[in-house]
Amino acid sequence: MGQLGSWVRGARAGFVRAAVVAAAGLPVPAVWIAIAAGMWEFGNPWAWTAPIVLSAVGTFLVSRPLCGFFRTLVARWTGAVIPGGYREAAPVLRMSTGYWWNGHSYAKSRKEAAEDQRLRMLWADPATRRDLRFVGAAAVAGLVAAVPLAGAGLAVAGFARSSVPLGLGGLVVAVATAPYAWRAMPPVAVRFLGPSHAMLLAGRVDELTAQRADTTVAQAAEIRRIERDLHDGAQARLVSLGLSLATAEKLMETDPAKARELMREARAGAATSLSEIRDLVHGISPPLLSERGLVDAVRALALDTPLDVTVSARAVPRLDAPIESAVYFGIAELLTNTVKHARADRARISIVWDAPHLVVGVEDDGRGGAGAPRGGGLDGLRRRLAVFDGTLEIISPEGGPTHARMTVPCES
Amino acid sequence: MRVLIAEDLYLLRDGMIRLIEAYGHEVVATASTGPETLDALLEHRPDVSVVDVRMPPDQSDEGLRAALAARREVPGLPILILSQHVDRLYARELLADGAGGIGYFLKESMFDADQFVEALERVAAGGTAMDPAVIAKLLSSGPSHRRLDRLTEREHEVLALMAEGLSNQAIARRLFLSDSAIGKYTTSMFGKLGITDDENGNRRVLAVLAYLDRS
Repeated sequence: MGQLGSWVRGARAGFVRAAVVAAAGLPVPAVWIAIAAGMWEFGNPWAWTAPIVLSAVGTFLVSRPLCGFFRTLVARWTGAVIPGGYREAAPVLRMSTGYWWNGHSYAKSRKEAAEDQRLRMLWADPATRRDLRFVGAAAVAGLVAAVPLAGAGLAVAGFARSSVPLGLGGLVVAVATAPYAWRAMPPVAVRFLGPSHAMLLAGRVDELTAQRADTTVAQAAEIRRIERDLHDGAQARLVSLGLSLATAEKLMETDPAKARELMREARAGAATSLSEIRDLVHGISPPLLSERGLVDAVRALALDTPLDVTVSARAVPRLDAPIESAVYFGIAELLTNTVKHARADRARISIVWDAPHLVVGVEDDGRGGAGAPRGGGLDGLRRRLAVFDGTLEIISPEGGPTHARMTVPCES
Repeated sequence: MRVLIAEDLYLLRDGMIRLIEAYGHEVVATASTGPETLDALLEHRPDVSVVDVRMPPDQSDEGLRAALAARREVPGLPILILSQHVDRLYARELLADGAGGIGYFLKESMFDADQFVEALERVAAGGTAMDPAVIAKLLSSGPSHRRLDRLTEREHEVLALMAEGLSNQAIARRLFLSDSAIGKYTTSMFGKLGITDDENGNRRVLAVLAYLDRS
């Protein structure tokens, strides 16, 4: 009895699902079939121009929400998430002229610009053509899903006309097909609703373009920083050194004591500028990193950090220099954050080579709550890792502890 | 001389003050940003000013712009521009008004303190002082450098010193020659290059610089 009960519940749920699929999948194709039939029946095809245009616009506008609806259904019924792969809109910006720019054209108001952009995107996005294709494919799934509905209709009609065989037959068809009829839809959706190969590639190209722009900007900023550090630091110190010496030379006879003092200053200045240059070089490319590799450089970094830092490393080979550098500075940034924000006493760094991935963990016993807001330091780190297809995950609940994990695919 | 110093790095400003004071000149004001420099230049009207090209707020060429703006207000206001690199474009912009009382020096040229202070005095007197490195660049790769092949080595030397802003007497002293010998060199040199000699020493220097910068 219990088995029968669960079967009945399954059939009922299946019937409802089939009804939903049919109701969502069939109307649009039905309209087109009706138009086609009408043209076939009533000679003058020109009379059908207006309905055709209206239906085309309607199909175009309804395709995306309809696809979204099917995606929701699949996610709810089977748990499978089908990515939409729609293009993302560029931000609508106000230009200095007061007009709004949406990446394609200017408009007087933000709303106008956004609307224009939405239509353009809808028109140009390859996902739109895929959505339209799916509207056709959904008709097939809808037809299959309509079988139990048709059976039920037949049953009702049969019993109403007291034709028992017709009614019974309809009932049997409806009940027998109810649990299965909707199941044609998810495979169709997965096949036709996912991003196509071309869309995946286009998405990858967009991603890489953005990354390249990021890298270029970061690189220019870095070069500018180095130039400024040199200009305001070592270069200025050397000039000052020369000035002290020149003044001392002038004062040698008239004021030897003052001259001697200037010479002493000059010597101290030379030592300071040397250490500044050393720091700068260290900031560009730590000598230990190129001489001894990532693990030793990180060990040295740990020694210089005012925390109790332990470093554990397993089977880490020498990697490509850019990757070593990115990971090293990533660890340095994470450690700096720990020192600055986490109020931690201890940190643990683990570096594991798990071919073909380098996995780096940085943990602390601090107060947690670390995030990677857009434009922040951690967001910058994430972008720098993304250049190598690397990722950064941060688990940092309020109250701590914080666990950051960088994963970078690379060859040894 | 009353001197104004515009330099944003404290270390350098301090060193420059000591150097200039060691030569018995008075530093009447200092400035450390572009706008401050312009205000100080117009307010104090110093006998000569030493202005760093790069200063806050933008760390671009604020100093140069302040100097040019001040000279538009007060034509010929004596200013010596300091930079950490030589750039022909800057030299050209500074010389463009043809008013004299202008200098363009590399910071390390200050190490030769005697020459630096001499240049400062020359600018204060309405003369011109170009860094030897700027002139060397003009002579070796400037738009006119091919036409200079006609000069003898000595004439070349004299031309370089003249372009730096030195007077005939100063050139004579530098090269250990007599004034009349320098006079002979300049006459033949100007003849070869087609520059009309000018009685006014500084106008002549400006003519030479304009020639060197002319393609």
